[in-house]
Amino acid sequence: MNASEVDILLVDDSPEDVALTLHALRAENLASRFFVARDGEEALEFLFCTGAHAGRSFDHPPKLVLLDLKLPKIDGMQVLKQLKGDPRTKTIPVVLLTSSKEERDRVIGYNLGVNSYLQKPVDFDDFRKMVKLLGLYWLVTNQPPVTNGNPHMKGQGL
Amino acid sequence: MSGAGIKLELQRSAETKAKLQVLLVEDNPADAELMLRELRKDGFEVSTTVVRTPGEFQRRIREESPDIILADYNLGEWRGVEALQILQAEGIDIPVIMVTGALGDVAAVECIKQGATDYVLKDGLARLPEAIRSALREKHERSLRHQAEGDLARKVEELARSNADLEQFAYVASHDLQEPLRMVVAYTQLLSERYHGKLDADADKFLGYASEGAQRMQVLIHDLLAFSRIGRQDAVSENVDCKVVVEEVLQALASATRESGAVVTHTVLPAVWANRTQVAQVFQNLIQNAIKFRGKEPPLISIQAEKAGQQWRFSVSDNGIGIAPEYAENIFVVFQRLHARGEYPGNGIGLAICKKIVERYGGRIWVEAQPGSGSIFKFTLPSRGPDERVGARP
Amino acid sequence: MKPAHDILVVDDNPADVALLCEALAGSKHRSQVNSVSDGVEAMALLNRRDKYTNAIRPDLVILDLNLPKKDGLAVLAAMKAGPELRRIPVVIFSTSQLRSDIVRSYEMGANCYVSKPGNLNDFFSAVKSIEEFWFSFVHLPPRGE
Repeated sequence: MNASEVDILLVDDSPEDVALTLHALRAENLASRFFVARDGEEALEFLFCTGAHAGRSFDHPPKLVLLDLKLPKIDGMQVLKQLKGDPRTKTIPVVLLTSSKEERDRVIGYNLGVNSYLQKPVDFDDFRKMVKLLGLYWLVTNQPPVTNGNPHMKGQGL
Repeated sequence: MSGAGIKLELQRSAETKAKLQVLLVEDNPADAELMLRELRKDGFEVSTTVVRTPGEFQRRIREESPDIILADYNLGEWRGVEALQILQAEGIDIPVIMVTGALGDVAAVECIKQGATDYVLKDGLARLPEAIRSALREKHERSLRHQAEGDLARKVEELARSNADLEQFAYVASHDLQEPLRMVVAYTQLLSERYHGKLDADADKFLGYASEGAQRMQVLIHDLLAFSRIGRQDAVSENVDCKVVVEEVLQALASATRESGAVVTHTVLPAVWANRTQVAQVFQNLIQNAIKFRGKEPPLISIQAEKAGQQWRFSVSDNGIGIAPEYAENIFVVFQRLHARGEYPGNGIGLAICKKIVERYGGRIWVEAQPGSGSIFKFTLPSRGPDERVGARP
Repeated sequence: MKPAHDILVVDDNPADVALLCEALAGSKHRSQVNSVSDGVEAMALLNRRDKYTNAIRPDLVILDLNLPKKDGLAVLAAMKAGPELRRIPVVIFSTSQLRSDIVRSYEMGANCYVSKPGNLNDFFSAVKSIEEFWFSFVHLPPRGE
């Protein structure tokens, strides 16, 4: 897998949630180019093209970052703050996908400029439905700011 | 005009033809007088200025415009050829005739090389008038030619501007037409769907026609827009990997290939120097056509590339209905269709778009085909950019 | 009965607003759609000024870019400058597919960008997706007062 052309960055330290998310995305053919970061530090290295990911380029950001709040090393809110605070990364769509029920987190998240905030459903089926909806919305309906060099083609033209 | 009047007119024009403004570069007044006498003898009405030094000469040619310059080769402290150099430095084009006592061949050649039109010997001054007339004739022809070149350059510039205006117009028109058209398409379709079967049979039919017409118009405008966008400056060229482009095109055409059962293969495909979106458009249009104009069997399409000097020559071959050779050039013309609307969909702009794109990069596109035995579309694109360095970033 | 959600549509094309309402009619989300046709009206409504003193703050703003008086990006900027308004999710919904418009919108804080499709079915799908996404699993920011 070429780490430079990634559509989705999943930042989550729960292996079960990651597996479930990927499974739901694959069912919609949305998970061909993904990367999983298990903690905030790795997520930041990936997105800021440093450390282990120094070979990455700011020209090829993911189309979507699915970010959990509770992460080891550096927590999700910190990651969000840094992402949205830097002009090189602020336009990357970030969706907080967390089990946190705190209204405070919601307020802070939206204030920091998170694109969307979702609570992970407890129900297995609901979780899948949510990921499907999420994936379709952000990867199909939505126009991301950067297209990774793909020419814009919608199968038109004669 | 009366008879006397005409005569006066002719006389006057005969006079003005022979009027001559001469700049004499001569330090010997006697020689100067001899030259002028010769000219007057031949019918010239001469007005003269005489200069002796380079400084005087330079001043005079800046202030006045003599018709001709007569310069002595030997002027004591300076040479007549220096006057030629001064003229050149000032960028002034006035014919110069060197007049001199004795002149060796070498010196003569030197004068001509330095820009003198002619030279006349002081003991052969009888030749002077003819030399002058000849020099003036030459000058006249030269200025006519310059003028013609200037006119041509202006016309070319005008044409280029007019072309750019037309392209801009086509672009703006098709771009601005999209919005109101979108409304017509959406609402005719909505009407069609909501009221189907609720009004009478005619209404259904009418709405259907309106809806179809609107949708066809939408595709047409979209294609016109694509066509008029091709030459625009913002379509930047870069190194394009055709293999990746073809694979993306095939992905975009996934449902069309699936429905028709088409099989598309390709050999190793190279990189070209062009705009990526435009390269994709060419491949997409050709592959789409190959699928569209298929025969009874599922389409078999193969894409290949061959090096041809500084270009790559691509071929897209299919096993479809083919094309009669007499239409081989026609099909690349905008809106030119070979089939009735009902037989095959499309408005005939796809190949015109391919041609315009390919030609933008100095390439060619053509087809080798026979009716009933498939077609091979070939086109060329440059292999590298104008100053591409070896090892430059991909 | 109080609608479940309030959507503010800012679009100067009444035909598009009507299409959007058409797309949402019969959806299970019971959204109330309010529309204004220019950026100045939009800010008056959001700030509850003039004739909008009793206006409800929307849960979602669907914003076109090319608007008279004050364009979409200016509305976006004004919203992001307000402490309460900045949290309201904004979906840019525009015919423009210019890369520069898309990037600019994100830079100025739009939550997402959806291109208005040219054909009817895709238009309806896009609008329905917008409603579906934002009003099912998303936790919207709390409504400030």
